[in-house]
Formats: sequence, structure tokens, C-alpha cells
Amino acid sequence: MNSVGRSWLLLTGFILFYIIYLLFGALMFSSIERPVEDKLRQDMEALKQEFLNQSCVNSTSLELFLVKVLTANKYGVSVLKNSSVNSNWDLTSSMFFANTLVTTVGYGQSTPLSDTGKAFSIFYALIGVPFTMLVLTACVQRIMCPLVLAPVRLLQRSGMEPRPATFVHFLLLLLVVVLCFFVVPAAVFSSVELSWSFLDGIYFCFISLCTIGLGDFVPGTQPGQKYRQLYQVTVMVYLFLGLMMMYLLLRTFHKMADLHGLTTFLQLPHCDESDLEDDREPIVEGKREDQAAPCQTEKEASKHLKPGSQSTYNTIHSG
Amino acid sequence: MAAPDLLDPKSAAHNSKPRLSFSVSPVLLNTPEDECDTRTTVMRWKTVSAIFFLVVLYLIIGATVFRALEQPHESSQKLAILAEKLDFLAMHSCVNSSELEDLVKQVVSAVRAGVNPSGNSSNHMSLWDISSSFFFAGTVITTIGFGNISPHTEGGRIFCIIYALLGIPLFGFLLAGVGDQLGTIFGKGIAKVEKMIVKWKVSQTKIRVISTLIFILFGCLIFVALPVIIFKHIEGWSTLESIYFVVITLTTIGFGDFVAGEKGGSDSSEFLNYYKPVVWFWILVGLAYFAAVLSMIGDWFRVISKKTKEEVGEFRAHAAEWTANVSAEFKETRRRLSVDIYDKFQRAASIKRKLSSELGINTTLNQELTPGKRALSVNLYEDREACPNSTLSLNPITGTLARNGSFYLNGLSPDYADRQEIAIIENLK
Repeated sequence: MNSVGRSWLLLTGFILFYIIYLLFGALMFSSIERPVEDKLRQDMEALKQEFLNQSCVNSTSLELFLVKVLTANKYGVSVLKNSSVNSNWDLTSSMFFANTLVTTVGYGQSTPLSDTGKAFSIFYALIGVPFTMLVLTACVQRIMCPLVLAPVRLLQRSGMEPRPATFVHFLLLLLVVVLCFFVVPAAVFSSVELSWSFLDGIYFCFISLCTIGLGDFVPGTQPGQKYRQLYQVTVMVYLFLGLMMMYLLLRTFHKMADLHGLTTFLQLPHCDESDLEDDREPIVEGKREDQAAPCQTEKEASKHLKPGSQSTYNTIHSG
Repeated sequence: MAAPDLLDPKSAAHNSKPRLSFSVSPVLLNTPEDECDTRTTVMRWKTVSAIFFLVVLYLIIGATVFRALEQPHESSQKLAILAEKLDFLAMHSCVNSSELEDLVKQVVSAVRAGVNPSGNSSNHMSLWDISSSFFFAGTVITTIGFGNISPHTEGGRIFCIIYALLGIPLFGFLLAGVGDQLGTIFGKGIAKVEKMIVKWKVSQTKIRVISTLIFILFGCLIFVALPVIIFKHIEGWSTLESIYFVVITLTTIGFGDFVAGEKGGSDSSEFLNYYKPVVWFWILVGLAYFAAVLSMIGDWFRVISKKTKEEVGEFRAHAAEWTANVSAEFKETRRRLSVDIYDKFQRAASIKRKLSSELGINTTLNQELTPGKRALSVNLYEDREACPNSTLSLNPITGTLARNGSFYLNGLSPDYADRQEIAIIENLK
């Protein structure tokens, strides 16, 4: 197995493990939160019946009612008639929640209700967040070569100086990312979600991809949404790809700033190659720096095999 | 030799050292050149404080703009929901379910706008006063994004996008600077502790592990335990809820189900005005600490994968070495065997030469032979010329015949001499 194939295998392993981790979190959340949510829903039903039985309403009972409704709503439980079918904690929704947890977006439209859920989310986040960062960095480093280095080299070969070339390339990349990850998804969202306008779609895309995640707009939470599972999975994939693109943009910008001398001017850490190599070592193999290490050991081993190079058996051992 | 990293304890410890800051080179805990260190620290301190003031100014500007955009909208919403409530109370006869649904929808949308319809309207804190707007702006640029407050006007949302676009990188720079400062302060403290520990002659790896543990413990005490106690006391949350809030906030997830400073009613507004900026400052420093912790966990992942890779590499190198040794041994045996055979061949060739040289000397002795002998020798010589192939077989006999003179001419050859010569011939064959 050559080293390039091995690095791809490692990356696929990383992504697979990431998906498995998400699934695991989804299952855990679903099993922890679903009973609590059902109980809360039942309580809301009982409250509603009680209210309807009363012929005369006074303000205190109304206040009590409102407070209870608001508390339930804060946790994503709605008391409205036609939203009792979809749970907030079925498998895809829990996976969506786990995804928002580890990407640090954190919408908050559904949050853990039970104490166990809260404790579990603490540990899940502490492990999941750095791991997600690792995976994203690995992916970005992988796509850095075809998307950044190759076009810049192309531009340079067509006669441009390195500094303007990086600048032009950065602008082009920015344009492509904005088009593909903001404008097009916003159009899709505004057509699928009934109450969203185009501006709301762009607002949502931006707030999500910067991992701010205010939570005032969350796709797939409207009652009666068709193909809800598929929709939520698509949104998750979009979030991951979009985050990757944002990281790529950030890294490209950092490199460009480095080249233009901005980082030295502001005395910020450099995006220099040694750090890149150090980052790349265990994650992405197949680059020249890392090939040196396994190649070294292989060369030493193969030296023994050359016939006639050693005069005696003793020198073979000591060599 | 195959995996030098594992054998060298220093480089192995280097891999597991905690990354204390955002800078490229990890903080060296035993820097010999102290004057260079202080010089770079001084410059960075100036830069950091400059960036800090810039960020605070940026936040104040954002807070003012948000308040100007959102507060009118909020007050109109408040009035609308109050009117709803009064209408409902007026017709307090039997309520049908559709009206109830309407009410609930109104309530829910009001809550989403951040307005709590329950309670009186007098002691309501606005969600968009200066300190709350500051807090909101802080949550936007740190990318925490609680969501208990969010802009509802179109202008507010557009401004939020532009604001975040500029503010997040700015905050990133600030965080890098703060992280560096934190790392330097901590590094100095650790250096002092290390000087004490070195006297106990503990290995380098153990020192690193101890410093990591101290870092985690100390940081948890200052940035997690202390705020948990404070939040528990002020907000009235349980311990778990406080820890949950701290972790969710400092990893910038920020759900918003628990937000510090949300409960407006109980304390005086002045206290709350000071409380929220203090919380924001804690978030800033705590974020730097948490970023260090998370990057440390990431480093552990990296070290684990690197160690696994090294172990796999070492295993492969051992296997290759073993095969190389085996094949070398095999080759050596073959070589020795061939040397043996060659030696024997050389020996045989030398014997042949020796014998042929002996025969060459004896031909000169033939001239002293009697005529009969000469005739025999001449005959034999002729025979030798006729059949050169069999010279080897004939020579010893003629040699011995010639040597022993006339004694052999009669054909009476003693068996002994014959047998000896024949034995040599047999050996050579």
C-alpha cells in the first residue's frame, strides 16, 4: 500500500469515525431525552384540558398557564395542536442536535431537559469539539492542495507575480464560496421553509456557518415538514461542508496575509510551513515531510539486503 | 534505531507537552535567554491591550446600533401582547380551543421576540438596553450565540451579519493575544515550580505531566469552579446547571437555555449593569483557557495517532530487519559453501600441477637409461605422444619405471609403488 493511498484511508477512517461518533451521540440523546420530553408533552396536554374545563378564567390561573407554556416552549415543546406528531428527539433530530453540539453552533431550539442529558452533553462536547476541529483541519489540509496551491501555481505560470496571484485567487475563492454556500442554499431554504424570506435564508446561512447559531431560525422544525429526516441530514451535510469552506477561506486569508507581510506587522502567529508540516504529520500522510520518516526505516532495512556489500556476518549485524 | 522518537524520552515528552497558547511554537518552559523573552512579551502586551480597547470600542458601537434598531420594535411588540392579554381577560367566559391556540401562538412568538408576557410590565427590563446589547454583541463576535436575544428587524439582521463579519476575526486576534499572555504567565509560574521539582531528580516526562495537571487544576479552579459558585449564588441554578452553563458557554456552543444575567427582576438594575460586563470579561479569559484545554485534548489525539503510527512503523521496521537478517544469513551460508568447494578445487589443481611438474623433471633423466630402457622410454614417449589424454595415467608408471630403472623394465613392479600412485590418481578424480 503506497503512502498516498494510506493517507486517504486514514482520512476516510477519520470521517467514518466522526459519523459514528455523531450517531452514537444521537442514540444517547434520543434515549435520554425522549422519555422526559414525552412526559412534558403529557403534562402540557393535561394542563390544556384543565384550562378548557374551567368556564371562568382569572388572571392568576392564566399567569400560571402562560408560565408553564413558556417554560415548555423554551425547551422546544410546543403546545399547539398540529405539532404533536414530530418529536424533537427522534434519531435524526438527535443527530442534528449532536452535530450542533460538536460544531459549536448550538442553536438551542431543543436543549437537554434532564440532568443526565446535561451531564452527558458536557462530556460529549469536551471530547467532540476538539475531535471535530481535528477532522475539519485534516479535511481542509487535504483540499488545500487542489483548491489553493494548484490554482495559484497556475496563475503564477500565466505570468503573474506571487502576491497579486494570491490576492486574485483569494477573491475568486471568496466569490465561489459566497455563491455556492450562501446564495444558493438561501434560495433553497426560502423556498422550502414557508415563513422564511431570502434575506432570512442568507441570515441563517451566515449565522450557522460562523458557528454563532442564535437559533431563531432552524430549518426542519416547522410542523408538517415533508421528508423531515432527509431534510435534516442534508442540512447537517451542508453545515459540515460550509464549515470546511470557511476554514479554508480563513487559512487562505492567513497565508495571503503572511505573504503580504500583515502578520509580521500585527505580530501575529505565522502560517508558516513548519507549523503546517507539524500539523500534517499524523493526520495527512503522503506529503514529502512525512514520507521521509517511514522511508528512512525502509531504506535502512533494505540496506541489509544488498548482496556483497557486507564482508562478514558480524558487520551485517553491527550495520 | 527504527523508531528513534520512541527511544528518546525527551522528544516523546515534547509530543505530549500541553499547547498553552495559540502561537506556533509551544511555550518553552526552560528558556535560557530571558532578556529576549521579556522584550517580545513587552511588545505583545502593548499590542494586546491596544486590540482589547479596540474590541471594547467596537462592542460599544455595536450595542448602541442594536439598541437603536431593536428597542422600538420591542416596545411595540410588548404593547401588542399586553393588549392581547387584556382582551382575553375581558372575555373570561368559556374559551374555545381555537382562541386558546391563538393566544398560545401569540405568547410563543412574543417569547421568541424576547418578551415575557407573564408578570407586570413595570419591572420589566428591556432586552435591548445598553448592557444587554453589549452582552448580545459579545455573544455574536465570540460566536457563542445564545439566542435568547436575537434581532428581529431586517435592518438588525443585516447589521448583525456585517458586524459578525468584521468582529469575529477581530476577536480571534484578541483571543490569540490573550492566550499568549496566559501561557506566558503560566509558563513563568511553572518554571519556578520546575526549579523546585528538579531538585528531586524527577524525569522530564514526569515534569511535563505534572505541569499539565497543574495547568488543568489551576485553570479549572479559576475559570470553572469559582464562576460556578458565583452563578449558583446569584442566578439560583443548581450545581449541574451552573457547570453546564460554564462548559456550554466556554466551548462557544451557547444554547441559550441558561444565560447569566437573564433574570432581570430581583436585583437592582445598577448591579446588573456591572454584572453583565464582568461576565463578558470572564467569558473572554475563560475562552482562552478553554481553547488551550481543547487544543491540548486535540494534541493528545494527535499524540495517540502519532504513537500508533510510530509503533506500526517500528513493527514494520523490525519485520523488515528480521527478513533482512534471515536472507543475509542464508547468503552467508551459500557463500561459505561455495568458498569451500572453490578451496577444494584449488587444492586439486595444485596437486595436479605438482605431479605434472614432477613428471617434467623425470624426462630429463631418461637419457641415462640403457638402450633397452631408452627404447622402452622412447616407445612410451611415442605412446605418450600418440595418446596425450592418458599421460596422467601412464606417467606415474613410466615415472616409477624410469626411477626404479631396470627393475621395472621386466614388468616386475612392486605393488606398493603402483598402488600409491594409483591412489593419488583416484583422489584427484
